[in-house]
Order: sequence, then structure tokens, then C-alpha cells
Amino acid sequence: MDLIFGDFRKFYEVGDGYGLAQTLSPISPPSQPERLRNFYRSTNFQNVQKDFKYQILYDNSAPFKLPADEGNGWVEVYVAYWKAVGEIQIAEAAANSGHKASWMKVYEAWKELTNMLHRGYMNCNFGSWTIPCLYVVGKYLRVFAIKADEGAASSQAVSATFQDDFNPDSEKNEKLEDAARQLNRIFNLCLSDRASLEESRKWGIYNIINLLFKTYFKLNSISLSKNILKAIRAYRGDMPPLESFPLAHQVTFKYYVGVIYFLEENYVESEKNLTEAWTLCHKDSIRNKELILTYLIPCHLLTTHTLPTLALLSPYPRLQKLFLPLSRCIKKGDLSGFDAALIAGEDEFVKRRIYLTLERGRDVALRNLLRKVFIAGGFEDAKEPGAPQVRKTRVPVAEFGAAISIGSKETMDNDEVECLLANMIYKNLMKGYIARDRGIVVLSKGGAFPGTGV
Amino acid sequence: MSAAPSAGAAANKATQDKTADAAKDVKPAAALEEDDEFEDFPVENWTKEDTEVPGDNTHLWEESWDDDDTSEDFSAQLKEELKKVEASKKR
Repeated sequence: MDLIFGDFRKFYEVGDGYGLAQTLSPISPPSQPERLRNFYRSTNFQNVQKDFKYQILYDNSAPFKLPADEGNGWVEVYVAYWKAVGEIQIAEAAANSGHKASWMKVYEAWKELTNMLHRGYMNCNFGSWTIPCLYVVGKYLRVFAIKADEGAASSQAVSATFQDDFNPDSEKNEKLEDAARQLNRIFNLCLSDRASLEESRKWGIYNIINLLFKTYFKLNSISLSKNILKAIRAYRGDMPPLESFPLAHQVTFKYYVGVIYFLEENYVESEKNLTEAWTLCHKDSIRNKELILTYLIPCHLLTTHTLPTLALLSPYPRLQKLFLPLSRCIKKGDLSGFDAALIAGEDEFVKRRIYLTLERGRDVALRNLLRKVFIAGGFEDAKEPGAPQVRKTRVPVAEFGAAISIGSKETMDNDEVECLLANMIYKNLMKGYIARDRGIVVLSKGGAFPGTGV
Repeated sequence: MSAAPSAGAAANKATQDKTADAAKDVKPAAALEEDDEFEDFPVENWTKEDTEVPGDNTHLWEESWDDDDTSEDFSAQLKEELKKVEASKKR
């Protein structure tokens, strides 16, 4: 108890919000592995209120004196924290001895802590410098909700064998959905603060939004993220610009916004946000950079038709496995290889939600194949010596058809080939027209394959 | 609390020198997290030097087609395939 309240006074005196937040961590720091256990044992249910009140409000050794409402608010917060710590220790002890841990109780206790903290800001004048406490409490609310739901799922799996009318989906994410509601309350708590910007809880907004995004993604209700974006857009004029928030908040936010646009197939906006996340990301956060690239690479394929270099992929063996086979086939214009690679990676692509986007990369592979046919056609005979060489721009449909059937067992009839070609022209990947009666494609003399140098 | 700095300043100032503590606390937390989602950064803020290769990113992306491919080989392959296609059509 002395340790925690010693820290409380220390950080409160200097107004260190991040330090203060650490006194509400549900995990003992490695340097003091017994910290939480000792804290819990230092008092009991009967005395906890009185003890903490003394520590926070009446300890004369404290270098400052808190106003009564503010102090009482913190007493309630730490009492709730103490109870939650007790539940965590019971759960951890159970898990360590091979029994079933009740994360449900941990979640409920932690939610109570969240409520007390919320009340502190609403009714007890908690300063906005203390908002990192909301980050820590919000972060673990989500973590404990997930654990509680996992626990519920596994115990229901056992009991489900005895009942027939059990619907596994209905309550699968009960606590996480509840956590989303609590986080939404915190979101509004930050958003609606009317204090001047220097003193505002609005500085907490992106951290809380990121927690909400993570929660919505896990719940598969990504559309709810759009409501959040709408809400902050409405407050835009009253909000500090994103650039003035800590980079950790910025990068996480841009990543999720990028993925949301990606899933809406708005690849231009997606690429913009993901590129910013990529450039600002801490260079040692390999896993996060890997996640950013997982979406940025398919974006690039569709927006600029570019592929990642080996230099880009070299630090990420997982991404190499994910993208290299496809990249190679796209470059070679190897359609059957592309299809095989897409099937081989299907499970992983679907899991990452990039399958449909990558599938559209087949157009780029086809473009490259047709381009090869065009180049293999060579040049017209020079009309006069010294004149610049001109490529043959009339290519039989059959030649394109033959190229497409390389490597596949079946041949495609001309109608189908023409259909593919017409699509390529429509998508501006190839310029020219099909002269059906003569069975040839007449390609543009000035750039038959826009942007590719021929 | 008059001694408390404004939240904005706290966010910027406190983050830089909190690095050591925060980094230590992150390890056990990671065990509680999903491996599938964006991870918390061990620090709140960092400088340009801590981001990837500032400036030149051009070598990271390349064109999607490959001109090094020996086009002779491809021509031969294409002719071969054309013959096959025509042969199958005659049948």
C-alpha cells in the first residue's frame, strides 16, 4: 500500500500522468514482482476505504493537499483497483494450479474501476493531465473482456453437450461488446470536454479511438469504426490536429483508418494513410510494420501497379511467404502460376482480408503477359534507313490467346480472349481496339501499355 | 493541482523520458494480447531518427513487369503454343 500511494503522491505532485497511470497497472513491474500481491495483502475489505482515505487525504507527510472531492474520487478509484487486484490474484492462482480461472469476475471488478475513474472526471474534477489512467484502464478492460469471453466459451463448450438449444454465437463476445460500450463512454468523456485545449481531455481521444478500433475489429463490426470517424470529423474545428498527438497514437490511428478504407476498396485513401503510418512507425516495431505492409502491398499493386522489392521484404519472412510467389508470377505474366499461388495462399489471404484485392492483381499479371506478346512481335521494317524503330502494333488475337493458354491445359476460344482484351482496354491497362472481322488487335502507337514504357 | 502541467505538454514531455519504465512494463502485457492485432508501442513518442530510412523510399517499390526476361525464350514458347492451339483447332 505504501509503495503504491508513495508513487501516487510522487507523480501527482509533479503532474506526471503516465507515471500515475502505472499505479493502476494490473501487472506487477518485473523489478517488483510482489508489488500487487503485497498491495492486496496490506489491507482488507473492512478497512480498505478508511486506509486509502487516510493515505490520500489525511497523510500529513504528503507534500500537497487534495481538495476533498478530488481526493475522495481517487479513494473510490483505488478501492475499486484494490478489489480488482484481488480478483486478478485469485484468477492467476487458479490458472497456475491448473484450475479454471474466473476472468468474468476480474472483468466485472475492472469495469467497476473504469466506472469510478469515469465518475472522477465527471464529478470530482480529475485533471486532464491524468488521462493516461484512462489509457491503462481502457486497455486492460478490453484484455480482460477477451479473456472472460474465452473462458465462457470453453466452459460452455463443456456444458453444451448437455443442452440442445445452445446458440454458441449469441453470447460469444458478450463481455467484449460490453467493453466496447464502456470504451465508447470514455470516448465521449474525452470528446465532449469543454475545457480549453491545453487542459482538455481531448488529448486522450486518439488513444481511446485506437482501443475502440481494436475492439470493433475483433468483434467484426468494423462499420462501427466509421461512426467514430464521423464523430471526430464533426468536432474537427475543436480538436488539436492529429500531428500534435504522440506518434504512438498517430501511427496506430492511421493504420486502422488505412485498413478501414482498404476494406471499403478505397485504395487511394487507404494507401495515403498506410504510407503515413509506415513512414512514422518506430523502426523497431517489426510486427507493426509487417501489419502495415500486409495492406500497403496490395494497395500499391492496385493503385500504382508496383510490387515490393526484395529489399523491402527482407526483414519480414512472413510477408515474403505471403507475397513473393504472387509477385513473381505477376512479373512474369504467368497466369496459371498466379492462380496456383492465389489458391495456395487462400486461407491466409482470406484471414487477412486481402484475398479479393490480390485477386484483382491478376489484371496486372495479364497486362504483363500481353505486353510480352507485344514486345515479342518486334518492330516494323524500317521505311527508310535511320528512321526510329516502330513496334508492330497489329497483333493477332490468336497470339494473345496462345500466350494466355501457356501453362494451362485448356485453350481459350477467341471470344473469351476478346472479352479479356476488351476488359484490359476498358481498365486502361492497354490502349487500342479490337478489329473483330480481321481477328487482330490494333494497339496504340503512342503507348500501347500506358505507364510501362511501351 | 496548480503544479500540474497542461495535458498537451504532459503528453509530449512525459512520453520521452518515460521510455525506460514503459518498455519494462510492456513484456508481460504482450502475453495478454492477441498476436493478430496492432501492438502497443513500447514508447509513446519518438524522433525522426527512430523511424525507418528517412527520405528515400524509392528502392522499396519496383515496377511490376520484368524486361530482363529473355524475350527470345518467350517468342519461342509463344510460337510453340500457337502451333499447339492451331493444331487442336483443326482437329
